Amino acid sequence: MIHIHRLERYWMITVGIVMGGFMAALVASVLVYGVRLPTPVGRVDPTHLENTDLATPGLTQDSEHAYTLRVVAKMWQFDFGVKGQMPKITLQHGSSLKIVATSKDVTHGFYVEQHNVNMMLVPGQISEMDVVFTKPGIYHIICHEYCGPGHQNMIAVIEVL
Amino acid sequence: MQAAHKLPAQNQALVFPKAGLLTSEQWLIGSHIITALVALAIGIFLGPFQLFRRAPMLKLQIPVFSYYYQALTVHGVINALFFTTFFIVGFSYFVVQRSLERPIWKPKLAWVAYGLMLVGLLMVMYTLVTNQANVLYTFYPSMIASPFFYLGLVLLVIGTWVVTAILFMTYYAWRKEHAGEHVPLAVFATLTNYTMWCVATIGVAIEVLFMLLPLSLGLIHTTDPQTARALFWFFGHPLVYFWLVPAYISWYTMLPKQTNSKIFSDPLARVAFIILLIFSIPVGVHHMYVDPGVSMVMKTIQWIFTFAVAIPSLLTAFNIGAMLELAGRKRGATTMIDWMWKQDWGNPVVAAQLVGMLMFVVGGISGIINASLTLNVALHNTSWIPAHFHMTLAGAVTMTFIGILYWLLPMIRGRALYSTKVALWQIYTWFVGMLIFGYTYGEAGILGVPRRTDLGSASYVNAEAVPYLNGAAIGGILLLISSSLLFVNILGTLFLSKEPVSGEAPIDTHVESKSPMILERWGFWLIVVLVLVVLAWGPVFIETVNFTSGFNVQGFKPEAPIPLP
Repeated sequence: MIHIHRLERYWMITVGIVMGGFMAALVASVLVYGVRLPTPVGRVDPTHLENTDLATPGLTQDSEHAYTLRVVAKMWQFDFGVKGQMPKITLQHGSSLKIVATSKDVTHGFYVEQHNVNMMLVPGQISEMDVVFTKPGIYHIICHEYCGPGHQNMIAVIEVL
Repeated sequence: MQAAHKLPAQNQALVFPKAGLLTSEQWLIGSHIITALVALAIGIFLGPFQLFRRAPMLKLQIPVFSYYYQALTVHGVINALFFTTFFIVGFSYFVVQRSLERPIWKPKLAWVAYGLMLVGLLMVMYTLVTNQANVLYTFYPSMIASPFFYLGLVLLVIGTWVVTAILFMTYYAWRKEHAGEHVPLAVFATLTNYTMWCVATIGVAIEVLFMLLPLSLGLIHTTDPQTARALFWFFGHPLVYFWLVPAYISWYTMLPKQTNSKIFSDPLARVAFIILLIFSIPVGVHHMYVDPGVSMVMKTIQWIFTFAVAIPSLLTAFNIGAMLELAGRKRGATTMIDWMWKQDWGNPVVAAQLVGMLMFVVGGISGIINASLTLNVALHNTSWIPAHFHMTLAGAVTMTFIGILYWLLPMIRGRALYSTKVALWQIYTWFVGMLIFGYTYGEAGILGVPRRTDLGSASYVNAEAVPYLNGAAIGGILLLISSSLLFVNILGTLFLSKEPVSGEAPIDTHVESKSPMILERWGFWLIVVLVLVVLAWGPVFIETVNFTSGFNVQGFKPEAPIPLP
């Protein structure tokens, strides 16, 4: 077999330990800190959203501290039933928010600044994420996937009181 | 009498000059390299202007391509897809025919491949200039470009398939006459690279031929963006290794000669290339960690493979490091670490590669961070990502290509490099400029600044990130200077240089390798790759393809939210 120099063996062992450490940290981020990634929850026909949950986008209160935000992304705005250049919703801090979102035209992004929400909104797919806003503040929702000439203005706001 | 003078006709062609090129080589390799440089000249200058446009204190309009997303598309498509491919193909021909000391198989076919790729470049360039393909270099549907954009890409890929056939046939002709010998490492690596490329391009070929092109032509009316994204990233990650392997070839097989050192371990280099080949494709899902259509199981599996594909790069770091230590010792280094700076920093060919390696350290570490599943949530599609891949693509890859260019271009032209001084200024301004860009955009990305966004006209930019975005413009100025110096030297070498070229081509023609011959069983490795690809990607496509209603998403032009007819 191939001769491996002693120093190179030490290097490989070091590399193995470091990569193993990274893997352990990552598993901890999921199991201990509860970081989640989007996973398949269902499909929609983007031309027929009217028969689905996403027919009327908007914020609904499910219980005292639990909300659901339904979002339909389109060129070039986040539609959740609020009018304006930079639509805004308001929440009490400590409340949990279920975000259910899709796109009705091209691929968009759904990124909440200073938080753990980062999803692609792919036409035909539903993106879902549960989050809790513990700190009051202004959180911007940014479309981070190029979606045409109006892309840079596709921004919304979550105000946490 | 007659028989004694008779030489086999083929042997004439085997006599390659040490310096300079044969006329046939000069034209073929020269055409590829010059075309690559023309493409680079279009793409490279748009880079710094992105930074000026995105800096809140400047918000400068981009010259020529005044529309931000058009400029961004040109920068990505022309640099990343065309400059790289033309350069790599020209370099591969040079490496293979010089190492094996035989002309490539069917040089006329090589011109056909070049023609296909060139027509591809012209078609794509036409659609970009006329604003018919502002879809960025990832061209995700349901956003749809002009059919000529896709046709151009198809021609580029078909051209590279022909190139693959030429390179493998050249190898098999050599193999017939050299049974049981080890092929030189540079050729070994080239063959792994094109094997990987051919498997990888199947993904993008299916995406373009069966989804995007027919939709663009109006033959079909719907598509499936999630499946298209999976097909793209099946190709998109090995694409970056297709760029990287030629740089590794230079580091492993050419830099030892250029630094008066020798390779530390040829067999381990071969092992690294084989691991790279095997694990380069079943990792593409790490570009889709936050996509809704792929399960956590497949994301986890491909995350683990992604960590596996870091191993050959870490092996390379040791192997090249040991080679450079010897180089440093020969230059008088005595302590444990002083060999790191006792290098030949005044030789542009060496300095460009060393600088590329330093940037690759940053690029590698930031890459492992991006690839780390949950950390990706904080970084996906932020400006951290371009910061990362400019350390790898515009760092390790491009700087090494420039290092190669500084000896190969004089050889093609038959004249010495125009100016060593200009070359050194070019290298170090690039290094500092790119590090400033990497640092500032990395920080801005952590703060949440999105990539691929015309911040110059955005309704909101995070105030905390403003100093970083402004700082990046300083890096942009340096990069603009560096790019200009590069072309001063290129034009100078082509048209002004008077001195004859000196030095030899840094090529090994014979090797003593202790590697097992199984490493050269290409058919075997191809099967291993295909099996792993099916296991790692099969379930992803089962998840993304909509088996009940098929394609159900309409196409859109980027300009308006109106579905295509």
